[in-house]
Amino acid sequence: MEILSIKNLSFTYPMLNTRALDSVTMTVEQGDFVVLCGQSGSGKTTLLKMFKREITPNGKCSGEVFFKGEPIKDIDDRTSAKKIGFVFQKPEQQIVTDKVWHELAFGLESLGYDSKYIRLRVGEMANYFGISSLFHRKTENLSGGQKQLLNLASVMAMSPDVLILDEPTSQLDPISAGDFIATLKRLNTELGLTIILTEHRLQDVFPIADKVAVLDNGKLIAYGKPREICRELKKHPVSAGFPSAVQIYNSTDISTDCPLTVREGRDFINNNFSKRKIEIRDTVPKTEIAVELKDAFFRYEKEGQDILAGTRLKVYKGEHFSILGGNGSGKTTTLKILSGILKPYRGSVFINGQKMNRKPLTEYSRMGIAMLPQNPETVFIKPKIIEDYIELCKIKGVENRDKKIAEITESLGIKGLMDKHPYDLSGGEVQRCALGKILLANPSIILLDEPTKGIDAYGKISLAKMLNKIKSQGRTIITVTHDVEFSAIVSDRCALFFDGDVLSNSVPQEFFSTNNFYTTSVSRICRDRFINAVTVDDAVSLIKEGGQYENKNN
Amino acid sequence: MENRKISGFNTLHPAVLFTYFVSVVIVAMFCTNPVMLFLALIGGVSFFGVMKGAKLFFQDLCFYILMAVFIAIINPLFSHNGVTPLFFMNGNPVTLEAILYGVDIALMLVGVIYWCKCYSEVMTTDKFLFLFGKAVPKLSLVLSAALRFIPLFRRKLKEIRSVQSSLGLYEKKGMINRVTAELKVFSSLITWSLENSVDTGASMKARGYGLKGRTHFSVFTFRKRDLGYLICIIVLVGIVILGMSMGISDFKFYPEISEFNFGLKQIAVYISFGILSFIPFLSELWEVIMWKYSASKI
Amino acid sequence: MKIKIIKQILLWVIIPLIIIFGVVIFYDRAYAWISLCVAISGCIPFFLTYEKRQGNTIKLVILAVLIALSVAGRFIFSFLPHFKPVTAIVVLTGIYMGYEAGFVCGAFTALISNFIFGQGPWTPFQMFIWGLIGCLAGLLNKFLLKNFVLLLVFGAVAGVLFSCFMDIWTTFWYDGTFNMGRYLANIITALPVTVSYAVSNLIFLLILAKPFGKKLERLKIKYGV
Repeated sequence: MEILSIKNLSFTYPMLNTRALDSVTMTVEQGDFVVLCGQSGSGKTTLLKMFKREITPNGKCSGEVFFKGEPIKDIDDRTSAKKIGFVFQKPEQQIVTDKVWHELAFGLESLGYDSKYIRLRVGEMANYFGISSLFHRKTENLSGGQKQLLNLASVMAMSPDVLILDEPTSQLDPISAGDFIATLKRLNTELGLTIILTEHRLQDVFPIADKVAVLDNGKLIAYGKPREICRELKKHPVSAGFPSAVQIYNSTDISTDCPLTVREGRDFINNNFSKRKIEIRDTVPKTEIAVELKDAFFRYEKEGQDILAGTRLKVYKGEHFSILGGNGSGKTTTLKILSGILKPYRGSVFINGQKMNRKPLTEYSRMGIAMLPQNPETVFIKPKIIEDYIELCKIKGVENRDKKIAEITESLGIKGLMDKHPYDLSGGEVQRCALGKILLANPSIILLDEPTKGIDAYGKISLAKMLNKIKSQGRTIITVTHDVEFSAIVSDRCALFFDGDVLSNSVPQEFFSTNNFYTTSVSRICRDRFINAVTVDDAVSLIKEGGQYENKNN
Repeated sequence: MENRKISGFNTLHPAVLFTYFVSVVIVAMFCTNPVMLFLALIGGVSFFGVMKGAKLFFQDLCFYILMAVFIAIINPLFSHNGVTPLFFMNGNPVTLEAILYGVDIALMLVGVIYWCKCYSEVMTTDKFLFLFGKAVPKLSLVLSAALRFIPLFRRKLKEIRSVQSSLGLYEKKGMINRVTAELKVFSSLITWSLENSVDTGASMKARGYGLKGRTHFSVFTFRKRDLGYLICIIVLVGIVILGMSMGISDFKFYPEISEFNFGLKQIAVYISFGILSFIPFLSELWEVIMWKYSASKI
Repeated sequence: MKIKIIKQILLWVIIPLIIIFGVVIFYDRAYAWISLCVAISGCIPFFLTYEKRQGNTIKLVILAVLIALSVAGRFIFSFLPHFKPVTAIVVLTGIYMGYEAGFVCGAFTALISNFIFGQGPWTPFQMFIWGLIGCLAGLLNKFLLKNFVLLLVFGAVAGVLFSCFMDIWTTFWYDGTFNMGRYLANIITALPVTVSYAVSNLIFLLILAKPFGKKLERLKIKYGV
């Protein structure tokens, strides 16, 4: 039975000429798990908002949306609110009230149920989603993952027939994101709930999706089973986000079924290729040390636990060094210590050979340290990007201001964004502009805090390119991230941060192929056959170089 | 659970708690009878002590004793009523009555402050919201949302500050530079919060906010025990108010201090008010004993 | 309909009765009692009008955001005593969001601040006075928007008035009646605070007012709020 369908839907935002959606027609069957993908700006969010009348944006709209065969604009307010659930991207901004229990009850209050009924529903939700222990907590004190789970639960409390989610995990760390998606899968299989989802992490959702829809410039260019889509859109830019197994498969001409999961991918590799190996090359000249931590100790409170406990770290000039680690492991704290915002209470920090312990913050930036924060919009305090750039030039006393700004905006491709408001830009654009602002002071060491948060696969590729360019200008980059795939692509060396110390550090190929759990999916797929392959490029190059089809070698 | 202590009085229904605090505070605030004020003060102080523990309690108390003394001394400067001048200052009489009235006011002030401290401790925001949620649902939602935003904004503020300080916003020293820098950060916070409020609004609409007939859910239930307390409170307050309106507990400082009257009627009013102001303390104490008892049984 | 009648009865019958009753039994401190009653019952009509007004959801959220901002603002400038953006934000809320919203913003900022720093008998007075400042700004918004200098003057005067009103209450509170000597003494001792209120309101309005208008304007254009 079809539950949602769109007929020939077009949509144009006010004051814009291009269509955000261009004659989209699609049908969603009851119980389907549909993943909607496309590059940023392709109209995914707009399309999702078309399904939920309450939040449909203003603009010129033609065509129709049907819910259970009835035009969506004709169904009554209550049904629309109750039967179509919507979870947004940012976990923080969806929470309205200060207590968890109140948030869970919010939708039911709107629908006008009595306390007895709400109590039952809310209790049910808290149990199903495993958040009973949080019930009396303040919403403020939840982690990002818990917040998003709460948002999901409070929508589910209204018992919707369709659940629509707009990049719900883009702000979460991989573990919370995995949990969140597992919960969605459970809702889909256990309750038969229809789910429509946009998502960056196609790796996690393709295997559980029934259907995949791909949008490109507002047009629906493909809609079908994940495996078919993967093959169909082999060459399309959107394929950059496909699961690693798919990307490896697509680089060959083998015509077996397309693998989606790590297991299928491993079988595919094992069945088709012989053993081969990538030589590990350490290309970093270990001559000059850019940043060094010597037995640094740090804690936030006097009675608290050491976040940094005798941390030792050496980063060489001109390398891109990645620090990986779970949430709350102290990665970001390390970065703050390197940038001078925090000071260790024991041990020392060296930048370009100078001991920095007692130096003020200004001295750090004079030594060429600059940091790109996790939320790049915090870099801007003016209504136009260019005004912020000029302000920084004033503060830092940058000479040849206009020339310098022109140079940087040119190389980052952000010239056209200079007159815009920072909040009018997409996630990737803000990040580039923020990077540009930081580069104005001509830093020699750049610290990046979770640079891939909220950035889609295509954006990550262009970010990686940009970072390589910055590095090639002779700069040192230190990235803190939990995105293993990204760090495998960009870094010269990787390290794992755990229990207050940097545990191992080596070239990504070595680092990830020795790790069994904390590693890239390519490494998991290929480790039996392709020694030391950790990125899709690694695997593809081995496939190409070793000649294909050394079939079934055991 | 955010510090929800095992406590007898705390767990009562918000309506009962509110009735209680309002009646005690109003009597303590507007009555001039030193006996009643003294009872209110001791009741409030002991309740506060039992809630907060000895250390914090004594630190606090010292401050308020000093304050009370100050108020008592200062009063004769403004009030020259009374019939018993002790000495003259700048040609104005300093009267015994004025000093004693100052003591009385100090008693009242400290007592009310302690009760308000207890109130703040017990009547947390969720209880307050529950009470007024039904009468003014929209406003209580505004309040709840604002309470949810404050910690979020403070966190964001810290973040912006730390980012901007590494970008050199706070480099220039001096008060004026500091203020301008903070203003820029604040302005940036305003932008961030306003831009994001749109998302919050959308999330509310998506969950049906604005439909007709919105109800008000709460986790509080009115139990038998609450009814018992409520009746107790109403009866006691009734006696006190009745006594006051009949002029039983009247006490005057000017022009002449009334004499203390300990007739049967007065004693009835004093005892009622005494019990009233010790209800929380006693119920806390009872809880402690109960726990000890049941713990020893286990 | 029923609720409406009950509310009217509450407003016009019960509150005056309570006041009269209080005056009778608390005759010594009748002024303090009346002032408290006026402060509390003065808030009620404003709250009810806001409650009744058909507003859109996002405006409601924006009001909550503004209240939270004015409370959070107290923390930023904690290094300078009495230098707080509260009144400035209340005034701006009144101007841009309407007088009811202005009143609610002022009253709730006081209420929430006291949730954080401790409730006291002063809470209703602060609520009422800050609310009135917001309300007044809302009623005068045409003039205040047109004339920037007038806005600054309004801010400064609001700071002074706030202080003077709170002193009236303090006086009632101590003496039960209006004691001119004490009132003047209170005003004089509070003078530095009053001055810094006035100055800080002026500075905050000077710096925040125009960007604030632009920010709200942006929301209007971008999201049709």
